[in-house]
Amino acid sequence: MDRRSFLKISAVGSTTAALDACGKPEHHLIRFIPEEDLIPGVAVWKPGVCTQCRAGCGIRVRVMQGEAEVTRKSKPGLISMGLAKKIEGNPEHPVNHGKLCAWGQAGLQVTYNPDRIRFPLKRSGQRGSGEYQAISWDDAIAELASHLPVAGSSGSPSPVAFLTQPLRDHRGALIEKFLAALGAPPAIHFEFFEQTVLRRANELSFGHRQLPSFDLANTNYVISFGADFLGTWNSPVSQNHSYGEMRQGRTEQRGKFVQVEPHMSQTGANADEWVYAKPGTEGWLALGLAHVMISERLRPAQAAGNAGALIEGWSEGLPDYTPEKVERITGVESGRIQRLARGSAAHSPAVAVIGGAPLAHTNGFSNALAVNALNALLGSVEKPGGIFFTPRPPMPSLSTSRNSASVRTLCEGILKGSPAVETLLVFNANPVFASPPAWRVQEALAKVPFIASFGSFVDETSVLSDLILPDHSYLESWVDNIPESGTTEAVVSLASPAMLPLHHTRPMPDVLLDVAHRLGGDMARAVPWKTYAGVLQAAFEELRSHPGSVTAKTDDDFWTAVQTKGGWWSNEAKGSPAMRELNRPPSPTKIVEPAFDGAASEYPFFFLPYASQQFSDGTHANLPWMQEMPDVISTAMWGTWVEINPQTASRLRIQKGDLIEVASQHGKLQAPALLTPGIAPDAVAMPVGQGHEQYGRYASHRGANPLKILAPQTEPETGALAWAATRVKITRLGKKGELILYAGSEREWPSQFQHR
Amino acid sequence: MKRQWGMVIDLDRCTGCEACVVACHAENNLATVGRDGAARGRTMHWMRVERYWEGEFPEVRLRFQPVLCQQCGDAPCESVCPVYATYHNPEGLNAQVYNRCIGTRYCGNACPYNARVFNFFNPVWDKPLDLQLNPDVSVRSVGIMEKCTFCIQRIKQVEIRSQESKQPIADGEIQPACVQSCPANAMVFGDLDDPKSKVSQLARSNRATRLLREVGAQPNVIYLRSVS
Amino acid sequence: MVAPSVEQLNQEILRPLARTSWRYYLTAGILGAIVIAAIAAFIYQVYAGIGVSGLNRPVFWGFYITDFVFWIGISHAGTLISAILRLTHAGWRRPVTRCAEAITVFALLIGASFPIIHLGRPYLFFWLLPYPSERGIWPNFHSPLLWDAFAITTYLTGSTIFLYLPTIPDFALVRDKARGWRKKIYHVLSLGWKGTPRQWHRLEMAMRIMAVVILPVAVSVHTIVSWDFAMPPVPMWHSTAFGPYFVAGAIFSGIAALIIAMAVLRKAFHLEQYLTPFHFDKLGKLLLLMSLVWGYFIVAERMTVWYGNESPEMAVYWSSAQGRFTHLFWFMVFCNLLVPFFILSIKHFRTITGTVIASITVVIGMWLERFLIIVPSLERKYLPYTWGSYRPTWVEITITAGTFAAMALLYMIFSKLVPIISIWELKLGMRDDGSSPQPALEPATPSRIVAEPGFAAPGK
Repeated sequence: MDRRSFLKISAVGSTTAALDACGKPEHHLIRFIPEEDLIPGVAVWKPGVCTQCRAGCGIRVRVMQGEAEVTRKSKPGLISMGLAKKIEGNPEHPVNHGKLCAWGQAGLQVTYNPDRIRFPLKRSGQRGSGEYQAISWDDAIAELASHLPVAGSSGSPSPVAFLTQPLRDHRGALIEKFLAALGAPPAIHFEFFEQTVLRRANELSFGHRQLPSFDLANTNYVISFGADFLGTWNSPVSQNHSYGEMRQGRTEQRGKFVQVEPHMSQTGANADEWVYAKPGTEGWLALGLAHVMISERLRPAQAAGNAGALIEGWSEGLPDYTPEKVERITGVESGRIQRLARGSAAHSPAVAVIGGAPLAHTNGFSNALAVNALNALLGSVEKPGGIFFTPRPPMPSLSTSRNSASVRTLCEGILKGSPAVETLLVFNANPVFASPPAWRVQEALAKVPFIASFGSFVDETSVLSDLILPDHSYLESWVDNIPESGTTEAVVSLASPAMLPLHHTRPMPDVLLDVAHRLGGDMARAVPWKTYAGVLQAAFEELRSHPGSVTAKTDDDFWTAVQTKGGWWSNEAKGSPAMRELNRPPSPTKIVEPAFDGAASEYPFFFLPYASQQFSDGTHANLPWMQEMPDVISTAMWGTWVEINPQTASRLRIQKGDLIEVASQHGKLQAPALLTPGIAPDAVAMPVGQGHEQYGRYASHRGANPLKILAPQTEPETGALAWAATRVKITRLGKKGELILYAGSEREWPSQFQHR
Repeated sequence: MKRQWGMVIDLDRCTGCEACVVACHAENNLATVGRDGAARGRTMHWMRVERYWEGEFPEVRLRFQPVLCQQCGDAPCESVCPVYATYHNPEGLNAQVYNRCIGTRYCGNACPYNARVFNFFNPVWDKPLDLQLNPDVSVRSVGIMEKCTFCIQRIKQVEIRSQESKQPIADGEIQPACVQSCPANAMVFGDLDDPKSKVSQLARSNRATRLLREVGAQPNVIYLRSVS
Repeated sequence: MVAPSVEQLNQEILRPLARTSWRYYLTAGILGAIVIAAIAAFIYQVYAGIGVSGLNRPVFWGFYITDFVFWIGISHAGTLISAILRLTHAGWRRPVTRCAEAITVFALLIGASFPIIHLGRPYLFFWLLPYPSERGIWPNFHSPLLWDAFAITTYLTGSTIFLYLPTIPDFALVRDKARGWRKKIYHVLSLGWKGTPRQWHRLEMAMRIMAVVILPVAVSVHTIVSWDFAMPPVPMWHSTAFGPYFVAGAIFSGIAALIIAMAVLRKAFHLEQYLTPFHFDKLGKLLLLMSLVWGYFIVAERMTVWYGNESPEMAVYWSSAQGRFTHLFWFMVFCNLLVPFFILSIKHFRTITGTVIASITVVIGMWLERFLIIVPSLERKYLPYTWGSYRPTWVEITITAGTFAAMALLYMIFSKLVPIISIWELKLGMRDDGSSPQPALEPATPSRIVAEPGFAAPGK
């Protein structure tokens, strides 16, 4: 058989295979952009949604005809198909305005990753050995269905647990419907850098249980407490975009930016003024600023508007937060506190931001409340140049909120034996990697009789599963997303698959639907759709009657138009929904001391893990582009490092690249030292993301995982992990570690180079 | 019509996010060299974000500076190439003809900006990562110099379309991958010879400066100084 | 010193051509093995990619270009020195010239191979040459590398002729003494030399022309090599002094190489009577002079940079004054300045051993000098963010070692095929000096030479 006829045969065969394998999303795809319209060498741009982080940016995927080796029915073959070649931002999208970050750009390497799971797998070796055998989708779905017992008639819940990444889309809603029909508890959402503390604080302060959006483009003064809003936090592309406008978008005004943090982040590097406050004392500093503003009568109290309740009773001033007292606690000079307070008051509108480490202390919640109150005092709540909350799109199909447990309580339960968990479903959550050792996640999972995983990659968690039902990549799937923040409009993004699946995979929601129909009865009735595309089409019909970016006469036209646009967004006047009147917002004036694990005498250093610019929480560590993108501050590639202040290093006789041991009460790790002036002498910092044991060829066995030495400290209000509340000691091991730095020099023309 | 393509990079907007770096990898088929290659200083970045520390803790600051090929008007790399693999094209770009390059690496030495990278080995893409390759950009082999082209494939595409449709090229219609991706809109690309283009207006800003002006290479990348 | 008789002279100088000891084969075998290892390393490099070297961004040039400049420098031993000595009628030159000119040709051959060895795609080296190609383009005449190609080929051609011309009468001598296939070869090589007055006259004319022509060529070659560095705007490369600095350095290292070669030949082939302490003393003085000239240049270079106080240049300056290359830098000064000065300026030490020691340090020092010109500048070129560092790999070290072995091997082979000391010039010198009785001048074909009127005053 010559190559051409093989091509023909395999193309025909694989199209049919793809059709029955993927729940037929293709007929929508074909109608939308027929595959046969692809002209070799001519690119077609298809709208999409980025899922590389939770921000939900709109993208456009450049699709060109190419020949791909694909897997169909577990067999590889060559077909000519449309292939994603480049991802750009969707210029019409209200979150990212046509822009895209490094993670979004690297999205191609998720789809084309050589370590993707190509077909359903059933465990054949010991659990955790990574030995699997290929099975058919029919067998896989039957296997899964056989492990999904429905809730007993006695009212005992179904012993099924669903562990997933946070999902702000209809997949999340579908999972809830599925679990409810099973009689199982709600899905457990897991990501390491969870935002529970801030959401809770915002709920109590502003009535919105969500992350805030900032109108930076119209701000004249930003004071940020630890938030890496230009790098990894919240909606980075949106925030970068408006930051650029704040700096140089207006001819008459350039916004000023102050960052308060213990370790210089990429965001802090852009600040006009970088302020070091002791870890966990950010709330004091916020209230210290408030004290100065009130005592010097810099702000009229009524500027707070609806948020006035937050600062009730503040007219007498905040006697506990005089600059001198705050200086003692935070280490920020009183004169500087006064200057910052006057500066922020003078440059109206001003806005305060909090995120990252300040929220990850045991007093993170009171830090958040203090900053929220500072915003109220600055008059920035829901005012131009201030803080906003993105409204939800009018989609009733989404309202599925049930209070769910956390991974910690899940594992505690499993280890105790109650409630019983017989089947655990895991979707893109990796708590084995991203949790403190004291949670004993791995131990708990080992006790679960049956684990099924939907992820595309074998990671530390999915390697424990008995059945792997690999998902499509997001470029091969129907994707929808409702941004939590980053815009003042209600947005729901939508994308049809940009390309046919490369491998014999199936989207997670389609698998759930298949399983439900196989189980039949109530299960099938609870989720009557055949495919996830059907779920979405039904959900989007609800939007047609609302004024927005897409108008159409019929549901079908509307459906097509939304796909062409890449989503739907309200064209209403900007602004968040009216703030609810709050009865009694908690008083932010009582800030508790942060507690740290480990005595300062034995463990002298604050340990500050932070979201890596390259890998976020480790999710992107399997993308070679991200491994080889130098971290912009350390300039390190293909590894990890411990940031140490040069003074501390010289005291401990540590030099650049020396291998050091970082030990807490809960574990120790080894990593090379990086001397950097951007960290306090009594702290060490480490990026999260490396140190995978199982995550494909690019990520595995590279660097160290700082999360494995964290103490299980929690923030009491929310139960969230206080990941910045561990103290450590460091020891020089007397040999060099592997530190690959892109930069040849720390500084430009060090002064000693010129002798006069 | 004579054009002079140029770029303005506003350092007051740049936040060091490095979206440009990865966008360039994706658009221009830049190879990754892996841990060993990176350790030996052989990464293929056409675009980098330099950072310089200033001061000591706690009065410490960091300055970012994205650097790519400056597409010099009087390029030191061009005169030293013995085989004309690098030459000045009619639109003021320093073009690199991969097939003509024999790998003396002289241009790399002559470039004051160290903007040039060299294929020390044949690039490798673990299958199916090869499917990400942009068919508009040739893949380079061992022994060849390469560097930023201002995404010449995108420029040519728009130029050909404009010739066919007899429509002039609108300002901002051409965007190199880095410019298109830049979240903070720190980069602007366009025709410096057109006084009305955004890039030439920005180039006349009193914040405008050029990198290593003293070398006299007359770069066509203009930096707008950070204000603070 | 008792002057050797003509017969003794013939015998002693031609002895290496006639007899070969086991030591020769052993040495040749070892050297050959090193050369083969280097060739294997090069083949591996072509096969795997130039990445097997330690080169990187920004240090695109390293050992190979150092070797290139070094060997081109060494090549200035011969032709330049011999031409100067010939033109100035320095009588003591006679036993030295052949040996020196041979160094030139071999060092050039080796040096010229490096621009090809270091290419990313060495199989396309011929694109450097101007030839009417299907690509329809000429090489870029603006590029100093192209000037190199021309300069080196010119110099190589010139030096080969310059070496060959005065060898013709000696080839004839060997031809007359040899038998069998050797006779045929030397018959061809001697170009039908019969020693007629016309032939002598022409030889003399040709040599005079070549001596005048080769001087500017030699100066230009190393100037052009220096321009490879001086033309691009690289800190501490971009210097007007580089031309004379490199030429001086080349002559300096060339003399050192010549002294070493002479000492080895003297020992190996028992030429003590011909290569005498007198020659080493003279060459030692010359070496001392060049050492001081070299010192003058390096002081001038570094003072200019220091007073100029420009950041990019100072960055490079400090990397050899206080940084990573400090030890190498001061070792280079020790080798090139201190050792030659203390040994050669004191008459008592200016012995054969003394000059040879000084020469060895000078050769090492001059190799280091090239390395320290090339690498520190590239490591710290402008934008500090892009600074890098360079460390050679075994491939580069093997190839470098291979070239030294190749030099020795070529020289050994040469000494087996060609009288390493110009016999006829020596005879002539002996007659002119009057240090030997007239009959001693009778060579193998006395009637022809004695009858030659031009012979009475060659070079006068």
